[in-house]
Amino acid sequence: MTSTSLLFLPVAVPLLGALLVTAFPRTSSILGVTAALASSAGGLWVTAQTWLHGDLGSVLGGWGLPLGIGLAADGLSAALLAMSSLVGLGISVYAIGYFAGSERCTHFWPLWLLLWASLNGVFLAADLFNLYVMLELLGLSAAALGALTGSREAIAANLRYLLVGLLGSITYLLAVALLYAGYGTLDIGLLSERLQPSPLAATALVLMIAGLALKAALFPMHFWLPPAHANAPAPVSAALSALVVKTAFYLILRLWLDLFPAIADAAAAFVLGALGAGAVLWGSWRALRAQRLKLLAAYSTVAQIGYLFLFLPLIQATPAGAARDDLIAACVLMAITHGFAKAGFFLAAGLVQQKAGHDRIDELGGAAQSMPATTFSIALAGAALIGLPPSGSFVSKWVMIGGAFTTGQWWWLIVIAAGTGLAAAYIFRVLGHAFGLEPTPRCFLTNARAELPAFLLAATSGVLLGLGAGPLWSLLGLSGGHA
Amino acid sequence: MNRDLSLLIGILVSLFAVLLLWIVYITLSAETGPRLATLALEQLPESGVSHPVTAVLLNYRAYDTLLELAVLLAALLGIWSLGPAPAGFQLAGPALAVMARWIVPLAILTGGYLLWVGGHAPGGAFQAGALLGSAGVILRLAGHPRAGLPSEEAQRWLVVAGVGVFVLIGLLLAALGYGFLTYPKAGAKWLILLIETAATLAIGATLAAAYVGGRPLGAAPPSTPTPTEDARA
Repeated sequence: MTSTSLLFLPVAVPLLGALLVTAFPRTSSILGVTAALASSAGGLWVTAQTWLHGDLGSVLGGWGLPLGIGLAADGLSAALLAMSSLVGLGISVYAIGYFAGSERCTHFWPLWLLLWASLNGVFLAADLFNLYVMLELLGLSAAALGALTGSREAIAANLRYLLVGLLGSITYLLAVALLYAGYGTLDIGLLSERLQPSPLAATALVLMIAGLALKAALFPMHFWLPPAHANAPAPVSAALSALVVKTAFYLILRLWLDLFPAIADAAAAFVLGALGAGAVLWGSWRALRAQRLKLLAAYSTVAQIGYLFLFLPLIQATPAGAARDDLIAACVLMAITHGFAKAGFFLAAGLVQQKAGHDRIDELGGAAQSMPATTFSIALAGAALIGLPPSGSFVSKWVMIGGAFTTGQWWWLIVIAAGTGLAAAYIFRVLGHAFGLEPTPRCFLTNARAELPAFLLAATSGVLLGLGAGPLWSLLGLSGGHA
Repeated sequence: MNRDLSLLIGILVSLFAVLLLWIVYITLSAETGPRLATLALEQLPESGVSHPVTAVLLNYRAYDTLLELAVLLAALLGIWSLGPAPAGFQLAGPALAVMARWIVPLAILTGGYLLWVGGHAPGGAFQAGALLGSAGVILRLAGHPRAGLPSEEAQRWLVVAGVGVFVLIGLLLAALGYGFLTYPKAGAKWLILLIETAATLAIGATLAAAYVGGRPLGAAPPSTPTPTEDARA
């Protein structure tokens, strides 16, 4: 049996697992974690096969392409499949302890495995209508999981999430119907060959991107995300923030690069980039102002999704070649880094919440100090969210800054710099409270004369010398390139 | 909502609808390429069934249908996760009770007919399952606390049966070398019928259980007296 004909495994394995845990609710933890191990192995196996043999594709049912449904795994799918496999395994192992002795355990496992099957299904689908079915399964299981805490806020937030998700799916489906009416096929590969610039194609592009942007919580359509993610149980928050919103972005990137290269233009890319910039600034600002740790993490997701959209105008403005490939790779790296970082952050925040009994940042005072590994996890994830070296998002931002300089779109640099500064502020705000046993003073400066010199020196080293390094070259009388 | 705002939204939505209609008009009036419908009809004799809709749902695009069944399952699991079902409605009056006694067996019988006829005429698992589900709704309205469904344990098996049989047949075919959900021509008809039968039961049970609106009550009837029993006492 060839690797191509087994492409369905990452979908079938978690699906079968979901059926088993539904039928045997008493042993759901054991069965669930076994299914999670198998699902993870299936996903990583397809990633490895793609790594070894290049792009894989198969058509189910033996009917050939226009009639059957195609599955495809290329590098982009494989990378996200690896993320969902590893992050999913981490969430599963964490969930055993988190839900231990609770009746919610029997509800968590079937929905989580269905969610996992639909995630992998989205990454492997090569058919526009099949993607719609996957998005339905994804949205429904995600909203049900988010409401597992059973609190009034959680149910209200996730009902809104469900309705918003349905609106997004229907908008997407409208575009699929238009494309099918115009071109008579649903396969992404065939469709991209037939697609011509026309009012129909442009409308389909706008509808698809708008529907998916709603699901990806792109600013200003992010309003549903913070309450839904902040009120879910910790393993679910991790899955929603790290994986679920990422699938919508993955689809936008996939359609942008593979389906609509003839239609998508710089103006559309600029609009998405501008919304992404809004997301970076607004999301980071709200994260800084958040009172609760999980709300902070949720707003941080809004901001991080914004960075991913900043890549689109840069990719669009770069001619095909190594520079464009670098940008695409950096964009995917950013998405994956955020997936791991945010999953880790939410899981650690869940531990803090269980230990302290709440997750109000101002009152964490030392609660995290008794859990060094958890606090260190938050710090590590925070370093990736800020984009400190050697995290993946540092590399991504580096490439993004290079791309912005090369394509002359300097205005994105301001957004990146401001977003990074705000991210540093909200992460250190958490860490500061986590380490401080004493009540923190009310004002920033307690002894201005003594503190200001130290502050200014540090600020010079941290900000001024980096951003204003240019004059040093002329001072030293050296020519040579700096950015 | 502000009246001006609703007016503005109405105008915008109307403009959008006009735009969509215009696009559909110019698309359909232009020469369209090859359509899938012709291809689907051409391949129909190979598909094991003689009705094109069933061929699309259970053969050409069986993978989509498998996942649609999983969507139904996810919806029911979501409902179950929200808490136990509310107590049953009060027992039906004589007219409703007689009607339920007539309609429920008829609905089940018609469901079986629709399942079988789906192979060559409009019908199939979703229609048959919907009828079974409606039989459950009538039972619940007539006062049956579990809408005619068995115990929670049996319900769990019923609702996973559709996806379960579907995915196991798919995996078995893959293991035999045909490929996932790729039926051999000789057995296609019977495999499709087997999948549809399981799907009918699962859809019917899922819809009825969804109408009950919460996790099934225990195997024994609830020990707390329902309002009806109070009324009769």
